[in-house]
Amino acid sequence: MAFIRLRNLSVEFPIYQGSHRSLKKLLLPASLQGNLARDRMDRINVRALSDITVDLRDGDRIALIGYNGAGKTTLLKVLAGIFIPTRGQIYAHGKVSSLFAVNVGVNPEATGRENIILRGMYMDVHPREMRTRIDEVAAFTELGPYLDMPVRTYSAGMSVRLAFTASTCIPPDILLMDEWISAGDARFLEKAHKRMADMIGSSNIMVLASHSMPLLREWCNRGILLQQGRIVLDGTVDEAIAAYQRSSEVEPALSEPA
Amino acid sequence: MLHRGPRPTRPPRFAPGDKGERRKGFHNGCFFAICGAGERSRLGSSSTNRSQLRNMKTDMTQQQAARADLDLPPLRSPASAAWDDLAEGISKSWMWSAMAMQDITMRYRGSVLGPFWLTISMAIMIAALGLIYSRLFNMEMHRYLPFLTVGLVVWQFVSQVMIDGCHTFLVVQNIIHQVRLPFSVHAWRNVCRNLIILAHNIVIVPLVIIPFGVPVGWNALEVIPALVLLAIDGSWLSILLGMLSARYRDVPPIVTNFVQVVFFITPIFWPPEALGVWAPYLPLNPLFAAIDVIRAPLLGEHPMPYSWSVLVITTVLGCVATFALFVKFRPRIAYWI
Repeated sequence: MAFIRLRNLSVEFPIYQGSHRSLKKLLLPASLQGNLARDRMDRINVRALSDITVDLRDGDRIALIGYNGAGKTTLLKVLAGIFIPTRGQIYAHGKVSSLFAVNVGVNPEATGRENIILRGMYMDVHPREMRTRIDEVAAFTELGPYLDMPVRTYSAGMSVRLAFTASTCIPPDILLMDEWISAGDARFLEKAHKRMADMIGSSNIMVLASHSMPLLREWCNRGILLQQGRIVLDGTVDEAIAAYQRSSEVEPALSEPA
Repeated sequence: MLHRGPRPTRPPRFAPGDKGERRKGFHNGCFFAICGAGERSRLGSSSTNRSQLRNMKTDMTQQQAARADLDLPPLRSPASAAWDDLAEGISKSWMWSAMAMQDITMRYRGSVLGPFWLTISMAIMIAALGLIYSRLFNMEMHRYLPFLTVGLVVWQFVSQVMIDGCHTFLVVQNIIHQVRLPFSVHAWRNVCRNLIILAHNIVIVPLVIIPFGVPVGWNALEVIPALVLLAIDGSWLSILLGMLSARYRDVPPIVTNFVQVVFFITPIFWPPEALGVWAPYLPLNPLFAAIDVIRAPLLGEHPMPYSWSVLVITTVLGCVATFALFVKFRPRIAYWI
């Protein structure tokens, strides 16, 4: 069983760098208005999430939808336990795996095999256990002799293959993904797609933030629409997508550049 | 909307952390509950309006009643969360030791001698300094060289822990932002890496002590508790400097500068006796105390009277102060970097 419960959760970022004046210019455009506040010490705070109360249960495949800056990534990071909320509470049960950037922890000087072990370490998997999976990973990447060469000699596509395969070799209870992971050439993409499907299928909860509506429709059974750090809709994927598209018609200036 | 001054009051706190629940969470290893800890510090109680607070409380109870089936456990205190971070970090010793090894092997990948370059560069430094400064201070080689060797080896550890400590969290920024790990893992990685380097350097010590016939006695075993204390000092320094540097980017250059200056004002390559009547006050410098409790026993001498006490007091104060700051600011680290 896995679950994540959020209660009245808020996240505020203090911004320390840069002069206030230029920050104001940079940050004040409409999409962020209402999210900026100054505290007693005159620092600028961005309220990335405000008053989020939501329950993620077994079997939930959640699509996180919203414009840039709506708080999708921040919410994912809170769910992953990376950001500790400034207010409210989060309570989670289950092994969380976050696939935000595929290449996290990749050391370009180390060989492919070493990087597989290394990636496992950052996923809290003991090198011993990772070694038992290394052959499966090696076979899936189809990198052959390259696995014993330093990753810096790899092409971009090759290193994505390696990172993707290593980070998807252990099915988690709770799977968090930011955007879709594009991995290598068309043939590998197909393989990766299938592997991803298996992984999602064996996880209890999946949360996917993406702007690709077909993808969200394919994978998800629940949609959460975020706007300025608040949940404005929590329903089926189709409802959430419809609401997202409606709101982009009302405020076209805020919509995504395709 | 921009607004000045204190923000409205936070929601009322829940009951203090329940111990049983917390232990279970920690052993399970995949079970976490997090609270908004940074809040109390920023909101003055002066702004809290009593009736406002009462209203919020009733709101909360109504909300809670509405989802009685999905109640959350009592909020954990920031102190217990910070403590769990440290304990969980220690329990992942396989992780930070492997990361530390990785740091070392990566640095020397492709070189013939590998990490023994550490040993060699230290040996060259000792030989060069020893040759010149024994003349300068008019000391005999068989006294000066062992003195210099032990001092430099310990100093190398202490100074490097402090300099690297500034980057405890900064260098792993992308990891902290991508996966949840206890923050203390990064601190222990730093200490472990420097202990490995120390182990490479320390092989020079017997090579110098034995040929010169230094009268080492049983009190050389004092080195063991001294090294344990140094490792503890390294841990709190890594966390403290790591947090300070994450928040204030001026800290790393300040520390680097400080370390350079302290190297010259601490008797490492010059004998303490050279200071004359001031010499008894030397242990007031905790960095001298740290070197003295290791150097003196290895040279067959006794540490200066207050060296041990100064080191122990520094360790205790450092641990307490760092823990207090860690409790308060641990929730902010991920936002700072």
